[in-house]
Amino acid sequence: MAVTTFAAIDIGSYNVSMEIFELTKKSGLRSLTRVRQGLELGSDTFALRKISMERLEELTKILLDYRRIMKEYGVSGYRACAKSAFREAGNRYLAVDHIRRAAGIEIEVLSNSEQRFLGYKSIASRGEEFQKYIEKGTAIVDVGGGSIQISLFDKDSLVTTQNILLGSLRVRERLSPFEKETIHYDRLVEQLIHRDISNFKRMYLNNRKVENIILVGDYFTNLIFQNRNDSSKTESRETFMKWYDHVVGSAPKEIAEELGISAEVSSVLIPMAVLYRTLIEELQVETIWLPGIQLTDGIAYDYGEKKKIIRASHDFEQDILEAAKNMARRYAVSKPHSESIARTARALYSSVRKAANLSQRAALLLEVCCYLNDCGSYISLVNVEECSYNIIMSTEIIGLSETERRIIANVVRYTTKELSAFQDLRSTEFLTHEDYMTVAQLAAIMRLASALDKSHLQKLEEVSAARKDRELVITVKTSEDFTLEKGIFEENTDFFEEIFNLKPVLKMKGGR
Amino acid sequence: MAAKSGSVKKTAAKPAQDSKKADSKKAASGSKKAASGTKKPLSGQKKADAGAGKAAPDDGRREKDAAAMTAPAEVARQVSAAAGPDFGASENFCNREESWLLFNGRCLSEARDTKIVPLFERLKFLSITQSNLDEFVMVRIASLKDQLHAGYTGTDIAGMTPEMQLSRLSDKMHDFVSLQYSTYNRSLLPALEKAGLVVVSDYRSLTDAQNAYLDRYFEEQIYPVLTPMAMDSSRPFPLVRNRTLNIGALISDKKADGLGKKGKKKKEKEKLEFATVQVPSVLPRIIELPDEGDGIKTIILLEEVIRKYIGVLFQHYDVVCCSAYRVMRNADLTIDEDEAADLLIEIQKQIRKRQWGEVIRLEVEEDIDSRLLRILRKEFEISDDDLYEIAGPLDLTFCMKLYGLPGFDAYKEPPYTPAPVAEFMGGEDIFEAIRKRDILMHHPYMSFDPVVNFVRTAAKDPDVLAIKQTLYRVSGNSPIIAALAQAADNGKQVTVLVELKARFDEEHNIAWAKMLEKAGVHVIYGLLGLKVHSKITMVVRREEDGIRRYVHLGTGNYNDSTARLYTDIGLFTCDDAIGQDATAVFNMLSGYSEPDRWYKLLVAPIWLKNDFLKLIRREAENAGAGKPAFIRAKMNSVCDPVIIEALYEASAAGVEIDLLVRGICCLRVGIPGISENIHVRSIVGNFLEHSRIFWFHNNGEDEVFMGSADWMPRNLDRRVEIVFPVQDEKLAQEVQHILTTEFEDNVKAHILQPDGSYEKIDKRGKTLVNSQQLFCGEAWAKVRRKPTPVEERRFTPAQAAADEEDG
Repeated sequence: MAVTTFAAIDIGSYNVSMEIFELTKKSGLRSLTRVRQGLELGSDTFALRKISMERLEELTKILLDYRRIMKEYGVSGYRACAKSAFREAGNRYLAVDHIRRAAGIEIEVLSNSEQRFLGYKSIASRGEEFQKYIEKGTAIVDVGGGSIQISLFDKDSLVTTQNILLGSLRVRERLSPFEKETIHYDRLVEQLIHRDISNFKRMYLNNRKVENIILVGDYFTNLIFQNRNDSSKTESRETFMKWYDHVVGSAPKEIAEELGISAEVSSVLIPMAVLYRTLIEELQVETIWLPGIQLTDGIAYDYGEKKKIIRASHDFEQDILEAAKNMARRYAVSKPHSESIARTARALYSSVRKAANLSQRAALLLEVCCYLNDCGSYISLVNVEECSYNIIMSTEIIGLSETERRIIANVVRYTTKELSAFQDLRSTEFLTHEDYMTVAQLAAIMRLASALDKSHLQKLEEVSAARKDRELVITVKTSEDFTLEKGIFEENTDFFEEIFNLKPVLKMKGGR
Repeated sequence: MAAKSGSVKKTAAKPAQDSKKADSKKAASGSKKAASGTKKPLSGQKKADAGAGKAAPDDGRREKDAAAMTAPAEVARQVSAAAGPDFGASENFCNREESWLLFNGRCLSEARDTKIVPLFERLKFLSITQSNLDEFVMVRIASLKDQLHAGYTGTDIAGMTPEMQLSRLSDKMHDFVSLQYSTYNRSLLPALEKAGLVVVSDYRSLTDAQNAYLDRYFEEQIYPVLTPMAMDSSRPFPLVRNRTLNIGALISDKKADGLGKKGKKKKEKEKLEFATVQVPSVLPRIIELPDEGDGIKTIILLEEVIRKYIGVLFQHYDVVCCSAYRVMRNADLTIDEDEAADLLIEIQKQIRKRQWGEVIRLEVEEDIDSRLLRILRKEFEISDDDLYEIAGPLDLTFCMKLYGLPGFDAYKEPPYTPAPVAEFMGGEDIFEAIRKRDILMHHPYMSFDPVVNFVRTAAKDPDVLAIKQTLYRVSGNSPIIAALAQAADNGKQVTVLVELKARFDEEHNIAWAKMLEKAGVHVIYGLLGLKVHSKITMVVRREEDGIRRYVHLGTGNYNDSTARLYTDIGLFTCDDAIGQDATAVFNMLSGYSEPDRWYKLLVAPIWLKNDFLKLIRREAENAGAGKPAFIRAKMNSVCDPVIIEALYEASAAGVEIDLLVRGICCLRVGIPGISENIHVRSIVGNFLEHSRIFWFHNNGEDEVFMGSADWMPRNLDRRVEIVFPVQDEKLAQEVQHILTTEFEDNVKAHILQPDGSYEKIDKRGKTLVNSQQLFCGEAWAKVRRKPTPVEERRFTPAQAAADEEDG
């Protein structure tokens, strides 16, 4: 039996942890060991906007130790993911380089959406239990040291996911100057978070009833609910409130003693408790589910999936598409139009995929581009492409990496605008040559697909595409006047040819 | 040889002082009780007030006041009776030091047992009582002295201040030493003589041949290593090392001779100098004298030989008097761990200091010259309480050397060879055997070799990735250490936690820890503020179906030498949950945070005490609900007040509690309404009882645990300890059988009485049960039952190649 041993490292705002897993096709994931060490990288970043040399040295020491532990289990692969403490640090690139040289560990700084996606994957790895919860209105709430992520599910699909820049450590740091001036610390936290929560409710909740909340986070979440003996646990709102009153009514020192943690760590526990309570009350949740998972589970799950050791029980790509569709709906994108473009784009993609060596993932990105292609017109009819670009860049789609989001935003931008030179995009958009080529290929497809529904009247009844020597013959069937579309199509063929070395030829069936 | 009388401290004014102390103690305990009476059971008192108030409030108050003035303890008792039993009251506990002295008394009773214990075994026990007492003084008495010097006046669980304890312990220790020497002089020496071994106690009784032999022996062997030191105005009092045996002398300058009568008198008065010489520890303490042809072996102690030739050491002086003496210093390491940047360096510093610690006990020969004694007492600042005038040779640990003399086998227990472990006799490799099922080993009845082999095999096995082990005390030339070093050399990841703070083993531990580090082992030098006492080894192995962890958990140290003397139990398992927990223990020891949860292990500090309390309270709840409930446990010591209170509560609820406590037991039995259901016994046998077993009935779903922890605050609060479940039903039954047999022991068991004393069982009319002997037999019987799969030997004759059949 092929057995893979993999280490997942999670570099958080106040913790560095590593979990070693064994992955097999037969039994999936098996955790072999988990180690954790307190390190408040977030205190540096949230206050100084950089990680101090002292903390980097501490991190190096921890990671060197982790390398030793990896050897103890014969680990064959690892992934070390850093979160907001690195993401927001001005010296993140230097820090990553320092660790690479000093500890021999390659750190990957996750974008918020990548981070949440991994968290989300780890919950989804719980299979049936997860499916059961998301059938009804359910919010996944992930309170970290730097921020909170709220993802809303209803009827089995993701409605939205939003990030609020208020994590437990960040709240503690931000409120520390005023803490001594009040005995109602909890109210300060509530006020700090109130605006963001109300906006979230107003924009996304509408009349939706959120019955369940899934709390993910780190070991803290388990600690809060004394989740020592169960890997998965359900709590009622009343039980939570009892616990809350106990924690908020006690001094950090007492809590530290009770839970057997350091006083410093317990000082993060109180803001975290207030954040949880505010969310539970504001969303009027009845049941709280603690799946007992951590980011490392998600990292390992993702690895297993990519290496085809684990087959996902949940369709994550469908979530991405659902999120894109919801976004399109919010920005009043015409559904028939985007569906029409998508149909054409799929046909074009299939015909050029092999020759252009386009990945399966590119098909998904292309589909998202189709849904979001016209979202900028919600803001301005004059500068649609730039507005679309900005909307996409400021909206998180869980499951898409930072780079993928950038690719989509640029594809949408260059569907109508002339493609900038690689040098320009490399410096402004941090795109690699490969990413640039993906942008160009998808934009070329989008241009033709978009041209074929230029009038937004969905004149196409059928569309297919096939290669014939150096030509790509696109056969369309329509019973309507197709002059405008044809004209626009012709205007865009050169770009397509330039990219794919195939001349698009439009072949009409029926119509005028 | 006339037996000398036992030693006692010469304190003429003692009785008066004692009665005064006793009175003050009584008053103190009385006032404490009164204080607890007014403080703790308030509700009861209020009730009493209210009740009395109805009839005649003034009378009631007067009655209470009067009671408070005359008998506060009685009031406290009445008040607490109204509020339910006060389980935590100090009178419900014994002082731990006194309880320890009782344990040493039980060891001494073995040395005094002329009926059952063979003569030379008795010598061994006497020696053990000496080394036990030395350690007790250096650590426990030292600690009480420290408390006294620091002005600490708080009380222990039995309600005694350090001062009260020191005074009582001094009396008891003097009595104890008296008993030791009366045993030696009156019982052992005559018996040894009968057995053909004479210990010469006075060199003047030697024969000419013996004298001639010693002349040469002294000149060649002893004299070169002696370093006499004198003290005068220009030379300060020399450093006398802790626990060493020394001979002190008063000497006078020979040059002063011939000055006439007047001058001689002046010399004696003015020129008497103190000199001292250490009895070298590099030489054997007992010297065998040549056979006189009568078949009797004669030995003399080294200090007696030095005394014989003491004049040689001070050639220009007259030796006026000389006497052996020994000091005991405060050897309790006080390490400020918060301040200690490097634990290793700090411990090394403190070990050096140990030689210079305050002198807390002085032993001298009882016939010492009073002038010599005065100097020693002055220099060492010794009070009456800490002076021991000994009626015999100082430091009885030489009795162990007597035990080792060849030729007296008839007077010793026949040597026991540990039985091999049946489960490892099947021919398969050790990992395969453990994979089949958990394996239990009861040492020393069963061999410790599998544990050594486990590490050895892991060191060589190509599939082993890592070995992790905690080490507390290991033997001098430990095969385990060698195997660990070899494993590192073979490229395995080896992590070893070496407990530097293992008392009196610190120096030894530092040496081999450094050696391991050189070999490439990742060595963790203990934890700040905690002693790592757990006994655990984990081997991580990559197998066809993934990573598998093999764990050995034990109740005793990884010490192949003591494993032949201590009764301990070890368990091999590859249970995944235990493997996970074992990993978490090592992670924690490596400085990482504790795990989110423990699957099966009970771990101290932080969790273990609560886990025990839960288990005890569950029995109490079951008893309360009318279900059968019992606790049977075995350990070295019980002195944690919280655990004891929980046991009292359980007993009061009806739980039957049987405890087998070898050493200290601060719990009292037979207190009405509190501990009537608790029975405590102690086994002091040929092997040192060392295993810890905890058996909870759990309403028929019995749970059995074993581990490294005693029910002591130091184990539960200040140490890393592991208690593990025995999950395999068959093995759990084996462990239950061990406990049951020990509770049936009527040969070596001493039963704790309600007055705090221990008594042996009246054996008349009973079948004798000696549990240790039974276990020896059972261990071998188990091996004999197991068919050894030795391949049948068959000689195969060579045959001529068969002719091809005709076609």
